[in-house]
Amino acid sequence: MAAEKAPLSENDSSWSRISWSLLAGVFIVFFLIGFVVLGRFQQNSPTLKPWASICRALGLTTADRPGGEPQPPLQTPTRIGWTPSTLARIASGNAQRGAFVALNCVVCHGEHGVSSSSIIPTLAGMDAAVIFKQLDDYRSQKRLWGVMSAIAAALSDHDSADVAAYFAQLPGGLLPNAGERVPAGGHGLRQRDPIIRLVFVGDPERGIPPCAACHGPIVQKLGVPALRGQHTAYIERELAAFAQGMRKNDINEQMRVIAHELTPDEMHAVAGFYGDADRKGSEQ
Amino acid sequence: MTSSSRLTLLHYWVAFGVFLLSVVLGAWQMLIRSPLPAPLDDSAAYYASVTLHGTAMAYVVTTFFIMGFGYAVVATSLGRPLRGAMAAWIGFSICLIGTLMAVAAVLSGHASVLYTFYPPLLATGWYYGGAFLLIAGSMIWVVLMISNMRSWKRDNPGQPVPLAMFAITATAMLWAWAASGVLIELAAILLPRAFGWSDLIDAALGRTLFSVTLHGIVYFWLMPAYIAFYTLVPQAAGGRLYSDTMGRLTFIMFLLFSLPVGMHHLLMDPEHGSGFKFLQSALTFLVVLPTLLTVFSICASLEIAGRVRGGRGLFGWIRALPWHEPMVLAVALSLVMLGLGGFGGLINMSYGMNSMIHNTSWVTAHFHLIFGGAVVIMYFAIAYEMWPRITGRVLASKRMARLQLWLWFWGMLITTLPWHITGLMGQPRRVAAFDYSDPLIAPMGPLVVVSVFGGLILLISAILLILILVRSHFSERGNEEPLRYALAVNPPRTVPRALNGFGLWNTLVLVLMILAYGYPIGQFYFLKSHSVPAIGAASSVDSRAGS
Repeated sequence: MAAEKAPLSENDSSWSRISWSLLAGVFIVFFLIGFVVLGRFQQNSPTLKPWASICRALGLTTADRPGGEPQPPLQTPTRIGWTPSTLARIASGNAQRGAFVALNCVVCHGEHGVSSSSIIPTLAGMDAAVIFKQLDDYRSQKRLWGVMSAIAAALSDHDSADVAAYFAQLPGGLLPNAGERVPAGGHGLRQRDPIIRLVFVGDPERGIPPCAACHGPIVQKLGVPALRGQHTAYIERELAAFAQGMRKNDINEQMRVIAHELTPDEMHAVAGFYGDADRKGSEQ
Repeated sequence: MTSSSRLTLLHYWVAFGVFLLSVVLGAWQMLIRSPLPAPLDDSAAYYASVTLHGTAMAYVVTTFFIMGFGYAVVATSLGRPLRGAMAAWIGFSICLIGTLMAVAAVLSGHASVLYTFYPPLLATGWYYGGAFLLIAGSMIWVVLMISNMRSWKRDNPGQPVPLAMFAITATAMLWAWAASGVLIELAAILLPRAFGWSDLIDAALGRTLFSVTLHGIVYFWLMPAYIAFYTLVPQAAGGRLYSDTMGRLTFIMFLLFSLPVGMHHLLMDPEHGSGFKFLQSALTFLVVLPTLLTVFSICASLEIAGRVRGGRGLFGWIRALPWHEPMVLAVALSLVMLGLGGFGGLINMSYGMNSMIHNTSWVTAHFHLIFGGAVVIMYFAIAYEMWPRITGRVLASKRMARLQLWLWFWGMLITTLPWHITGLMGQPRRVAAFDYSDPLIAPMGPLVVVSVFGGLILLISAILLILILVRSHFSERGNEEPLRYALAVNPPRTVPRALNGFGLWNTLVLVLMILAYGYPIGQFYFLKSHSVPAIGAASSVDSRAGS
C-alpha cells in the first residue's frame, strides 16, 4: 500500500484530515435536517422561518408565540410540597400537646375525632400529613369552608403538626389500610360490579385511575386521605366540589380531573363503597 | 497458575456466580407477571427483583467479566505479565465491596428504583454508594489497560499493537467515556439527595446524564464479543482473520459512534427539543457501519477457514467448518440473534417509530436478544476457550458445552420473540401484575406463558454452564496450547499511527460529545431548572405509620 510507505507524519495528517472532514460533514448534514428542515413544517400552522425552526428544535417554543398575549395569573393549588423538611415538621408533632389544641375542633369533629354530622369529616385515624396540609390550605385560603379558615388561621405551624399527630393516633375512626390488592372474594381484577371495578381498576377510556391506588386499599399514598369509614355524604360532597371547581387544593389537579369525569350516580356509589355505611354494614 | 490467570479466574467466577443468581431472579420475574401461579406473588418483591436482576446483569456480571477478560488479553496478547497487578487486586476489592453494598440495599427493600435509577424515585444511599464504588473501581481497570498498552508501545517502538490489545484498550476508553454520565449523576444528584444534603432533585438532568451512559454501556458489554469475533473465532475455526485494518476501524468506530447517541433513550422525554433528539437518533444509525463491517469480516474469515479445511462450492465451506468447537458454534448462534435483535433496534432508535414500542416489552425483548443472547453467548464461548488455559485441565465436556449454547440460543428466542409481539400489542415493561381476564390483555396471556418456558430453558442452560465450569476444575490435566489470537491474512508489519493509538479518536469523541450533549446538559444550568422534591421509600406513609 502506498500509504504505508509514506512518512509517518504525512500519513497521520491525512487520517486526521479525512476523519475530521467526514465527521464534520455528517454532523452538518444531520444538524441541518434536524434543526432547519424537519422543524419548519407544522401540521396545523404555517411553515416556520429557519431561525424560529432552530429555536423550536432546541425546545425554546416561546420564540414563535405571539407576544403580548395576556397570561393568566399564576395559581398554585397549595403551599405544601412534600419536602423532607415538611415531612420532618409533621413527624415532630406532639400528640399530647395536640390533645389541647384539639379542643378547638371537637365541637364539630366529635370528641374522639368521630364526627356525628354526616357532612363533617371524621378525623380519627386520618394520616397526619393529610390533616397538616388541609390546615395549611385553609390558612392560606387555598381551601375554603367558612369557619375552618378562621380556626386554621389561629393555629401556628407547630399547633397544626401537634393536632395532626393527635388525631392520627386516635382509634375508632377511619379504618386502617388492609393492603388488599384485589377486591375481597374476587378472582383477578375484573369485576362485574361497575363500582368495584371503578375503585380497583379505574376506567382507562375516561382517563380515570383506580381510586384504590391512592386512597387504599391497594396503596395508601402520601398526602392522600384514607376513605374507609369516612362519612358517605362528606365524600360525595367533596367529589362534587372537585368536579365543579369549588375545591381546588389537589396538588396536581388530579382530583379535579377525575371528579369531572364521574357522573353524579358514580360519585354517590363510590362514596357509598368507601363510606361509613359500608363499614357499619360489614361490622354487623 | 500465573498471577494474571488467577486474577482473571476470580473475576470470571464473580461474574458467572452473580449471573446464575440473576437468571434465577429473571425466571421468577417472568413467572410472576404471567397468568401462571408463582411462588411469593408480591408486587413489591417483583420490583426489588427487577432492580437486582438489572443491576447485577448490567453492572456486576459485565464489569467483572470484561475486567477479567481484559487482564487475560493483556497477558496473552502482549506476551508478558500484567503490569500493575496490585492495583488490579485493589480495583477488584473496591468493585466487590460496591457490589455487596448495592445488593444488600436492594434486598433490604429500600432500593427498588430499577437499574436506571429513575429519579425522582429515591433509594437508600447504600445503593447509590455501592453502584458508585463498583463503577469507579472499574476505572482502575481502565487505567491499567491504557497504561499497559502505552508501556508496550514504548518498549516496542514502531510495532503495531496486537489487535486484541488495541480493541480492549478501545473498550476501556469507551467505558471511561460512558461511565462519566452515571458517575456524575450519582455524585452530583443522587448521592447528595440520599445523604440529605439537598431536598430537591433535578430528574430531567439526571435522566439526561444517565443517557450519556446508557448507550455507551451497551457497547462496553458488546466489545468482548466483538474482540472474540475478530481474534478468537478465526483461530478456533482453523483459519485467519480476513483483515486486521477492518478490525481496528471497527473498534475505533464503536468508540466514536456509541457515545454521542444516548438521547435516543429520551425520545419521549419532554425536557429536550426535537433537534438534538433527531441529531442523536441519526448519529445512532452510523453504528450500522462497524456492525456490517464486522459481519462481513467474520463471514469472510470463516469462509477462509472453511476453504482451508477443504470446503468447496458456494456454500460447501460452511459444512466444512469445525462445528464441534464451542467458539464456532457460538459465533453462528450469536450472529443469528444479532441480526434479529438488530432489526428490532432499528425501530427503537428511529425517532418516529419509537413511539409505537416505547416502554413496552418490545424494548425488553430487544436488549435481551442482543445483550442476553448475542453477547452473553460469546461470554460463554470465551469462558470455554479460556478455562483450560487458566486451569491447565481439559474442558469437562465439549458436547455438554455445545448443548448449553444451543439451550441458551433456543431459550432466548422462545423468551424474546413472544415479548416482541406482546410489546406491539402494547404490553408495558416493568409491570408486576396484569389482569389477564381483561379482553384487551387476554390475548397476551398465551404468549407470556410461552416466554416463561423460554425462561425455564435459559435457567437450565445457566445451571449447565456453572456445572461445566466447576467440573472443568476437577477434570484430567491436559496440555492445552497457550491462547493464540488469529493472524490476519496479511499480518500488519506497520500500521498508520492513527490506527495504533487513540489520540486522534479521543479528541474527536470529545468534540462530538460537546456538540451533541453541550446544549442538552447545559440548558439545565443556564435556561431552566427542573428540580422537584424527591420522595424516598423511607418517607412513604406506610413506613412512617410503622415508626
